[in-house]
Amino acid sequence: MFKLIQILLLTLLFSITSIASDTKPTLTIYTYDSFTASWGPGPKIKEAFEKEHNCNVKFVGMSSSIGALRKIQLEGKNTKADILLGLDTNIAQAANKTGLFAKHDLDTSNLDLPVPYTDEYFVPYDYSYMAFVYDENKVKNPPMSFEALAAMPEDFKIVIQDPRSSTPGLSLLLWVKEIYKEKAGEYWKRLAPHILTITKGWSEAYGLFLKGEADMVLSYTTSPAYHIIEENRTNFKSAHFEEGHYGQIEVAAMLKSSKHKDLAKKFLHFLHSETFAEIIPTANWAYPVVKTKQGLPKVFKTLTQPSKMILLDGKTVETHRKAIISEWLHSLER
Amino acid sequence: MLQEAKRLKYSLLPGGLVSLLLLGFAFVLFFILFFSQEDASVAQLDSRVFSLLKFTLYQAFLSTLLSLLVGLVLAWSLAHQSNFKGRSLLVALFSSSLVLPTLIVVFGLISVLGRNGWVNQLNLYLFDHSFGSYLYGLTGILVAHVYLNASFASRSLLHVFESIPKEKYKLAKSLNFTTFQRFMYVEWPALRTTLLSIGSTIFLLCFTSFAIVLVLGGSPAYNTLEVAIYEAVKLDFDIGMALKIALIQLAVTTLLVLFSSNFRTGVGNVKTNTLIIPWSESKHVKRFQVAIISLFSLFFILPLLAIIVDGIGADFTRILSAPLFIKSFFTSIGLATVSSILTVLFALFLSDTKRNFTLKHRLPDSTFSKILNIIVSFSGNLYLAVPSLIMGLGFFLLSQTYEAPMAVWSTIALLTANVLMSLPFALAVLAPVMQKTAQRYDKLVFSLNLNPLQRWVYCEYPYLKSSIGYVFALSFCFSLGDLGIIALFGSDDFSTLPWYLYQLMGSYRTSDAAGVALILLAITLCVFILLPRVFRSSVAKHN
Repeated sequence: MFKLIQILLLTLLFSITSIASDTKPTLTIYTYDSFTASWGPGPKIKEAFEKEHNCNVKFVGMSSSIGALRKIQLEGKNTKADILLGLDTNIAQAANKTGLFAKHDLDTSNLDLPVPYTDEYFVPYDYSYMAFVYDENKVKNPPMSFEALAAMPEDFKIVIQDPRSSTPGLSLLLWVKEIYKEKAGEYWKRLAPHILTITKGWSEAYGLFLKGEADMVLSYTTSPAYHIIEENRTNFKSAHFEEGHYGQIEVAAMLKSSKHKDLAKKFLHFLHSETFAEIIPTANWAYPVVKTKQGLPKVFKTLTQPSKMILLDGKTVETHRKAIISEWLHSLER
Repeated sequence: MLQEAKRLKYSLLPGGLVSLLLLGFAFVLFFILFFSQEDASVAQLDSRVFSLLKFTLYQAFLSTLLSLLVGLVLAWSLAHQSNFKGRSLLVALFSSSLVLPTLIVVFGLISVLGRNGWVNQLNLYLFDHSFGSYLYGLTGILVAHVYLNASFASRSLLHVFESIPKEKYKLAKSLNFTTFQRFMYVEWPALRTTLLSIGSTIFLLCFTSFAIVLVLGGSPAYNTLEVAIYEAVKLDFDIGMALKIALIQLAVTTLLVLFSSNFRTGVGNVKTNTLIIPWSESKHVKRFQVAIISLFSLFFILPLLAIIVDGIGADFTRILSAPLFIKSFFTSIGLATVSSILTVLFALFLSDTKRNFTLKHRLPDSTFSKILNIIVSFSGNLYLAVPSLIMGLGFFLLSQTYEAPMAVWSTIALLTANVLMSLPFALAVLAPVMQKTAQRYDKLVFSLNLNPLQRWVYCEYPYLKSSIGYVFALSFCFSLGDLGIIALFGSDDFSTLPWYLYQLMGSYRTSDAAGVALILLAITLCVFILLPRVFRSSVAKHN
């Protein structure tokens, strides 16, 4: 009897371990929710990478990329994440300070980026320009500058994102700061009546805008391309701001605690492949960081082309980030 | 004294232990919050914290004032319109506001009053004019607070109106009082104390309001301290800041609890007196009263109706098959069951102990008993002094220091919060009944020398049964609908229905959110209506 139980237990143990060893390694990637959405780049990238490297890719989407970072911070060394994808250069330094991320050892000097880029931890994978998106049918005279925006009638409402939780929200703060310098706080006071609400992440804000709750939403110059290509709707435009547009370079990094470091490194390398670069424009609606044979879709030529990319250095941002956010919080109070 | 205590040990010990446990928990919480501060951050109390405090007090003050005003006018109208059709149904409905999940209320209000809500659409259709998006910000917060609290206040005030001796009305009538004089000389004196105690409760509830402000605030300008704590942890990972805000919040709530009178709000079972006030109102007054009742009923029912209408159209096969929904559903039901059982047990033990200190024939030493009574009462009303986000922060800090799976910490945190949240209400319902049974049966029980179990079976339970059912339903619904601590601990791995709903609302998946809102509303109302029926007893009715 005792032997029988022993044998049973042993076979059970074997079958469990054999199931475990049978499965392919799973690469867990924390990111923002619109990346993993069915219409986002996530599913295509998962398929392409899984085929190339015989593994499983699991995307875990948070309402924002900073939200994903916070989750990793909460979980600390026990995090299930192998890779964090979706922060931008503004917040990457802050993430780096947690000491949770590992160096990538990739050469990023030859990438097709509007500004030179070097960082030992975070790998860029696409870029875009921040812009306010509106519906041409509803807004006849869109504001062409921050001044014009603040001077719009009282019932003209915009939706923006919280700079503490989302990268576009932080970009807007830096954008305003770069243009208005020490008068930024005063500008936010003037803009405050136009802010309908401040959301945690980009998808919430964009969803609210599409539902007709607001006249404009903080998004990207590349957002209208989605409506043209996917929905055949040309009425969405991004407002061209004379002052120049703030740039956003999205980055990814792997975690020190990752159990699949080799695979993670391969994934970071994959971010600079042509396969990846071809998926990005029509799935994440941004510019890829490597040139492809195919080039960009034609629609991209019709998009707003900012005269200049405003982009603060990540280290500078990190030094002043708290102060800038605190200035913003103060100006919004009444 | 000592001998008395020895004889009452079975009545003193369980409640005493529960009380000690609760106070111990509060102490640990204070200890953690106070000592996890870094010395550097204590000094810089920046002006943001002050403006947060200012806004929190300001909105709580306005909310309380409006809720009391609306509740008073409504109760006054209901009291004098005893023939109003569907009156008892309305009163019962208003009393359900206590258990409606706040998130559901917000959801319904957005459907009715939002930029694309019913009111605006109707207005756009009729007059080609929209009121715009006034629901985000202070207005929205006030509207939601009045929705929840005015109906709650009207219930308690109606009770007062109906307990005014009818002779006083007759006297007033014979003195030829006007409606105003009648109110000033007959009704107002009776209402004053109740108004004060409900007012202080509402103020505390609004001061620590979380879900409403989180969803309808829309901007840091409209943050309450509670939401600011959440944001500091969840958005900024700035634990220092969260602690700073938490300590200020604690200081204020403790002061408020100390200054406000006892937690006396009369949340007992709804039984409105049908005795008709001997006074027929003049035509204008009657019209006014009917208008008030109709308007408020509309204001109260439309959002609930909106949830049903929006929800019915949802794709339920998709909602019910979503793994996260299933997980949230079972987590919610499980937590609600466990925490309501714990609440009933704790409340029974505490009120059993409490009556030893209030009844003269039990423990005679009066000052000593008074102090002990206050301590036991305070331990049961802990939640008012330590709001849920602060508790959450405490658990959060613990989870950072002591390693255990996040799900374990989350479960403990949620259970604790749910039990503490329902305890004040549970005590308010059960303590008076237990006091009464003791008054009535103590002599008999002591002379027959019944053991505690016999006493419970023969004397207490038959009388408590229906109250227990009510408390069970109340705390089950509280737990089911709470979006507090879960906002800090919620994730894909650990989620409850309100958290799932909040996620859906956050990503503006409106149709799914409407479906989940309807499910949550249906469960809440079913439990709130059906559970007390299961426990209904014939003895208590004659009590």
